[in-house]
Amino acid sequence: MTYKPLLGVPAISDATIPLQAAEPARLSEDALAVAIGLGVFALALVSLFGADALGWVATTSVWTDPTVALTTASKAYAGLGGLGALALTYVALVAVLSAAAYALGDDVRRFATRFTVVFAIAYGAWFLGSWAYLAAVTPADQAKFGVSWSLKLTNEGGYIVALIAGLVIANVFPAFAEWLKSAIRPELYVKVAIVILGAFIAVTMAGKLTLASSLMLRGLAAIVEAYLIYWPVVYLIARKGFGFSREWSAPLASGVSICGVAAAIATGGAIRARPQVPVLVSSLVVIFAVVDVLILPVIAQAFMSHEPLVAAAWMGLAVKTDGAAVAAGGITQSLIQAKAAAEGINYQPGWMLSVTATVKVFIDVFIGVWAFILAYIWTNHVNPQPGAPKAKLAEIWERFPKFILGFVATFLIALALALGTDAGTSGKLATAIGEANVWRVIFFVLTFFSIGVLSDFRRLWQDGLGKLAAVYVVSLFGFVIWVGFVISWLFFAGIKPPLAS
Amino acid sequence: MATPDLRDELKAPVEPLLPIEKKLIGWSFGVGIALLALLVLLNRIIPLT
Repeated sequence: MTYKPLLGVPAISDATIPLQAAEPARLSEDALAVAIGLGVFALALVSLFGADALGWVATTSVWTDPTVALTTASKAYAGLGGLGALALTYVALVAVLSAAAYALGDDVRRFATRFTVVFAIAYGAWFLGSWAYLAAVTPADQAKFGVSWSLKLTNEGGYIVALIAGLVIANVFPAFAEWLKSAIRPELYVKVAIVILGAFIAVTMAGKLTLASSLMLRGLAAIVEAYLIYWPVVYLIARKGFGFSREWSAPLASGVSICGVAAAIATGGAIRARPQVPVLVSSLVVIFAVVDVLILPVIAQAFMSHEPLVAAAWMGLAVKTDGAAVAAGGITQSLIQAKAAAEGINYQPGWMLSVTATVKVFIDVFIGVWAFILAYIWTNHVNPQPGAPKAKLAEIWERFPKFILGFVATFLIALALALGTDAGTSGKLATAIGEANVWRVIFFVLTFFSIGVLSDFRRLWQDGLGKLAAVYVVSLFGFVIWVGFVISWLFFAGIKPPLAS
Repeated sequence: MATPDLRDELKAPVEPLLPIEKKLIGWSFGVGIALLALLVLLNRIIPLT
C-alpha cells in the first residue's frame, strides 16, 4: 500500500526496499491486490453457472515421476497437459501482473522479464517441494510412492524451498537479487493471496460456524496484545534500554509489535520521522521475519502438535509482516498436519491457516487508528510546531490497509453462498474456491521467494544497524514470542480443528 | 534518499522520557492488561462449545 503524506512526510511504498518506479504510481498496491484477488474470486464463481473459468490453472501433486506431477486444477482441462497448463498459468500471471506493474508506475518490459525468472524459480521450488522425498507424509504415502523415507513436509514444503532459494540468491548472488528486484513484490503477492484466502476460509468454516465464530472472537485478544502490550514495552526497551531517540523508537516499536513493514511506515509518517527511518526499520523487520519463518514453525511442530490452533495463533502474533506471518501459518499447518497424520489424526485442512490469517488481519485493522493516536500525541505534545498541520481523523481511513476490504468481501460473499444455497450449489462453490485456492498457493510461493530475495543478512552489519537489531532481538526473542505463546495458549488451548471426513 | 548512519546518531545525547511518553507507555500497558484480563475472564465464563 502507499501511504499518503502526513505532516510533510513524503508518501512511501511499504515495499521493503523502495523500487525504482519509472513513473508515479497510478494505483496503490492495496487497490491492485483487491482487484486481482476479487478477479480470481469472480472467475471462480463463474463455475456456479456451469462454465469452469479457472480449472486450467497448473497445480503440482506429490511426485516421484516428474513427468506426471504437473496437472490442471480441473479434469475438464486435462487435455491441456501439465506443461500446457503451466504455460497458460504463466501467461495469465505475467499479463495481469505486468498490468499491475504499469499501474504502479514500473517499466512493464523490465517487470515482465524479471517476473519470468521469478516465476520460473518460485514455481520450480513448489515443484521440487512436491517431490515425494520431501512431501510424502504418512507411511501409506511413502509406500504408494515407493520411498523409504521422507521429510514429511507435504507438498506445501515448496514454500520452504522457495524461501531458501530466495535467501541463497540474496546472500550469495546479490547482483542477481538486485536485477530481480522489479518483480520482487512480496506485499502485493501476499495481499492478493489474502484476498483469495478470505473465500477459502469462509468455505472451510461454513460447516462449523459456531466453532469458526468462537475462534474469530478469540482473535480479538491479538489486537490488545499487539497495540497495548507489545508496543509500550518495546518502545520502553528502545528508549530506556538502548537510548534510541523517539524518531527511531516509535517506528521500531510498531515494526516489532504490530505488523512489521506497514506499521513501521505508518508510524514513521505519523510522528514525522525522516522517510529513511521506517525504511531501515522495515529491512530489519523482513530479515527477522525470515528467521521467524524458518524457526518458529519447526518449534511449533515439535512442541505444539497436539495444540494446533495455539500454534497457528502463535504464528499470527509472533511473526511480523503479513506475508511472513501467513506464510509461517501455512508451514505450521503443513508440519503439524503431517505429524498428526503420521499418528493417524487427519485434521481438516485450512483451519490453522485461517486462525493465523484472522489474527493477523485483526491486528492490521487498527494500524490507522494507532497511527492517528501517535500523530495526535506527537503533534500536540511531543513535538508541537507552530503552524504545522495537526493530526486529522481522516488519517485513520488513509492509513487503513485497504486490502482487508477485499478479504472481508470474499469472506462474506463466499460465506453467504455456502450457507444460503442448496447442497449442490455449495458443493460447486467448494470446488470453485478450491481452484481459486491454487492461485492463492501460487501467490504464496511468489511471496516466500520474494521475502527470501529481500533478506540480505549482510545489511545487519551496515549503517550501524546492529544496535537496532539488538533491540529487535531482545524484544522479539525475550518478550514478543513468549507473551504471544502465553496469550495463544490462554485463548486457544484445548480447541482442535475438525477432523477431515 | 541518503541513509542515516545510526552510529553517528547513537552518539547524540539520550532524549529523556517526556511525561507524555510515560503516560502513553503506562496507559497503553495498563489498559492492555485490563482488557486482556477481561477477555480471559469472558473466555472462561463462555467456553467454546
